[in-house]
Amino acid sequence: MTPSSSIAAPGATPAHEEHHDHHPSYLVDGTTIKSWLLTVDHKRIGLMFLFWVLLFFLVGGIFALLIRLELLTPGPTIMDAMTYNRTFTLHGLVMIFLFMIPAIPAVFGNFMLPLMLGAKDVAFPRLNLLSLYIYLTGAMLALWGMLNGGLDTGWTFYTPYSAHTTTTVAPVLFGAFIIGFSSIVTGINFIVTTHTMRAPGITWFKMPLFVWAIYATSCIQVLATPVIGLLLVLVTVENLFGFGMFDPARGGDPVLFQHLFWFYSHPAVYIMVLPAFGVMSEIVSAFSRKNIFGYRAVAYSSLGIAFVGFFAWGHHMFVSGQSTFAGGLFGVLTMLVGVFTAIKVFNWVGTVYKGAVDFKTPFAYFCGFLFFTVFGGMTGIALGTTSLDIPWHDTYFVVAHFHFIMVGATIMAFLAAIHYWFPKMFGRMYHEGWGLVSAALIILGFNATFIPQFLLGNNGMPRRYYEYPERFQALNVASTAGASLLAFGFVIIAMYLAYALFYGRVAGNNPWRSKGYEWLTESPPPTHNFVGPQPTYPEEPHFYVDPKKAEVPDAV
Amino acid sequence: MATDTHPGEHHGHHGAGRYWVIWGALLVLTLITVVTGRMHMPTFGLMLALIIATTKGALVALFFMHLSEHQGLNRLFFAVSLLFVLLMLAIPLIDLGTRYRYATPPGSQYSDMQAIDIGANAQQGRYGGNQKKPTSQEQSEAH
Amino acid sequence: MQSSASTAGAPAAPVPRLAMHFASLEVQDNAARLGMWLFLTTEILLFAGLFICYGVYRFLFPEAWAASSRSLDLTLGTVNTVVLITSSLTAALAVHYAKTGKNKAVAVQIFLTLLMAIGFLVIKYFEYHHKFEIGTLPGRYYFYEGIQLPGAPMYFTVYFCATALHGLHVVIGMVVLAFAMVRALRKGDFGPNNYTMVELGSMYWHLVDLVWIFLFPLLYLV
Repeated sequence: MTPSSSIAAPGATPAHEEHHDHHPSYLVDGTTIKSWLLTVDHKRIGLMFLFWVLLFFLVGGIFALLIRLELLTPGPTIMDAMTYNRTFTLHGLVMIFLFMIPAIPAVFGNFMLPLMLGAKDVAFPRLNLLSLYIYLTGAMLALWGMLNGGLDTGWTFYTPYSAHTTTTVAPVLFGAFIIGFSSIVTGINFIVTTHTMRAPGITWFKMPLFVWAIYATSCIQVLATPVIGLLLVLVTVENLFGFGMFDPARGGDPVLFQHLFWFYSHPAVYIMVLPAFGVMSEIVSAFSRKNIFGYRAVAYSSLGIAFVGFFAWGHHMFVSGQSTFAGGLFGVLTMLVGVFTAIKVFNWVGTVYKGAVDFKTPFAYFCGFLFFTVFGGMTGIALGTTSLDIPWHDTYFVVAHFHFIMVGATIMAFLAAIHYWFPKMFGRMYHEGWGLVSAALIILGFNATFIPQFLLGNNGMPRRYYEYPERFQALNVASTAGASLLAFGFVIIAMYLAYALFYGRVAGNNPWRSKGYEWLTESPPPTHNFVGPQPTYPEEPHFYVDPKKAEVPDAV
Repeated sequence: MATDTHPGEHHGHHGAGRYWVIWGALLVLTLITVVTGRMHMPTFGLMLALIIATTKGALVALFFMHLSEHQGLNRLFFAVSLLFVLLMLAIPLIDLGTRYRYATPPGSQYSDMQAIDIGANAQQGRYGGNQKKPTSQEQSEAH
Repeated sequence: MQSSASTAGAPAAPVPRLAMHFASLEVQDNAARLGMWLFLTTEILLFAGLFICYGVYRFLFPEAWAASSRSLDLTLGTVNTVVLITSSLTAALAVHYAKTGKNKAVAVQIFLTLLMAIGFLVIKYFEYHHKFEIGTLPGRYYFYEGIQLPGAPMYFTVYFCATALHGLHVVIGMVVLAFAMVRALRKGDFGPNNYTMVELGSMYWHLVDLVWIFLFPLLYLV
């Protein structure tokens, strides 16, 4: 649309460091603490986000294990009911607002987007750093609130309960409100970067698919996050002052709260999962040694999911008292999301078909991802059917469904991205054998955790309950065992990646022989991403096989 | 006015007079909306007020904010945001317009109940858990 | 984008810094504008949440809405509208003078804008004060005898939330414009190539005006 960055005025770029022969990588270019904390380098900011996101993932994971331990027996096991309410609320809040929403965009989006666009940085580097600190401020406020009383409303903080509970609603929700700003700033930054910073030669349809996915995600972040921001403030005000905005005793409509809440929170699911789709589009092409099948279809379907995803929110509200007409409308719109997701799945499978698959750890995660996306997506279609949702609503079936599609897909993509881009980010290789073993453990553990929950939900066990009848115990034990396996897998990953960080074999610039634009520069990249003149990007991304030539895979 | 060319400047210059004209138009529209608003027209009132407000908003956005001169992309984003506002407004209204009567807020024109029917003044069942009753009684509940 | 970018940095005016990661000044300016428009988009959606609350509750309680909106002081509301529209004019003129490098005029126009902003807030304060006295307050604080309709307290919940959020934006806008004014006075380096700060600040101010243009008829007139 805007060929703005193609007007590369060579004289306008200040010549810098051209007298140096060796260009230090971004990791060692400045080693003081200040040079990290006040950096405006998108790569360093990405790494700092990685650190914090992983820390919050650990926190959320500990809460998850506590929940599973509590549910080991039908009665009270390790905590009282109020603590249990707080634990699952904090698990949800930490995992969603502090881990999954920033996980891929803020870490890998930050790191890879400028590299993939041939830019030296994102459009607003200082805002980028600000986004990190806004995120940390909000996170600290929310965590402080959690430690000083916690929140027992569930992460959805539905009114009227959230307006009346005496637990510390205000700091936690205000913390989440602040985190929203971080999300908005990141989104604006990425959209502007994509529009104005593309290197000469990178047209819209020569952008890597990860960029398309991040672009679509950013659009959702910009359009949806303000609404939850307002809502968080309104609920905080409700809780503190009782203005009665959503209080039925004063003529308020709690269902209106749910409309506004899900206007953000349903698209938020796509904030989490679209970047995952983008990562997987990169990986499936790189490890199948084959051009991506149906590039434009994958690119457009990202935007399609972003758009249609906005108008499916009411499927969370089938039993809330909204009208049956609206329920039917949302049911139909929900199916459309399935169409776009199916287009993507079809294209990924089409990419693997007759490719020369290099079964490395990222590809193992791709396989897990495909399974979780298809299985989770199909149960989603089932849940989007009004008649089926009514018995399943608020049971463990829903819990298992969204853990499959949202968490499963995102975690698979997050881990795949860490492994795929580990040599890019740190210049070292992890141990492939351990990688495959832990991938297997994690995929198995994830299934073992949540498939019993599908069965539990189908048998009628409601979510968020503290106690349950004896007959559900076997499946709950199975689920807890699966969660332990999952945790074990993560411990292994943490260990070998930490080892590889310091003692891993030096990887070289492009250990995967990937054609992605981000691999054109050194690994790890120098501070301004590339040295000397602007690199050129003659080929399309994901260009492994020349379609005009014979069907020889891996024509590198 | 400034006639020197500005490098890198893709929109042209115009005199300050244009802003004064827009300002005058905005004031006239404000006058019209106040006068017509006072008539309290039963059906057109809201429609007319919104049309006038949209016209004023368009003048501000296009000329004061220079949307008419900025890149088309900016107009696209602005239009998309308005589209989302409209859709976000329409869907809850569709829901309320077709909702089962007993699921609408009591006291509203679509409900057969009053707030007192759901225990609004009874002060029971509303403050679950360890929530205390507010010390000051409800000053005046509309019923 | 007709003019060539390579002449960016003509010595006619103080040259702004070109950040090293942008291809040219023009791209940098476009990026700043695009970023600002995106930010304004988020602001529109932020207010949209309240407009939706307004729409839904108006739909549910039309009589209470009509009665309550008539209890507001239309004169003060109209005066406030005129004040805000005029402050928008001066903000636009500030950008105009910034483009032509007349830094004094920029400072004067912004100063006028700030004065009117303060005037707006003062009038708003008197309106609020009156409401606290007669008891047209949100939710459970409502004690006005004049209107006893279901939904009337809800009207004032929406009224206070919307005007308070708008007032907060007025204050933020004032801070942003004040920075631009100080810069125009201290450094005085706004010119044909360097007016982005005034332009973006003024865009924010116009958004504040834009929101009020919709709030005014919805709250006071219909």
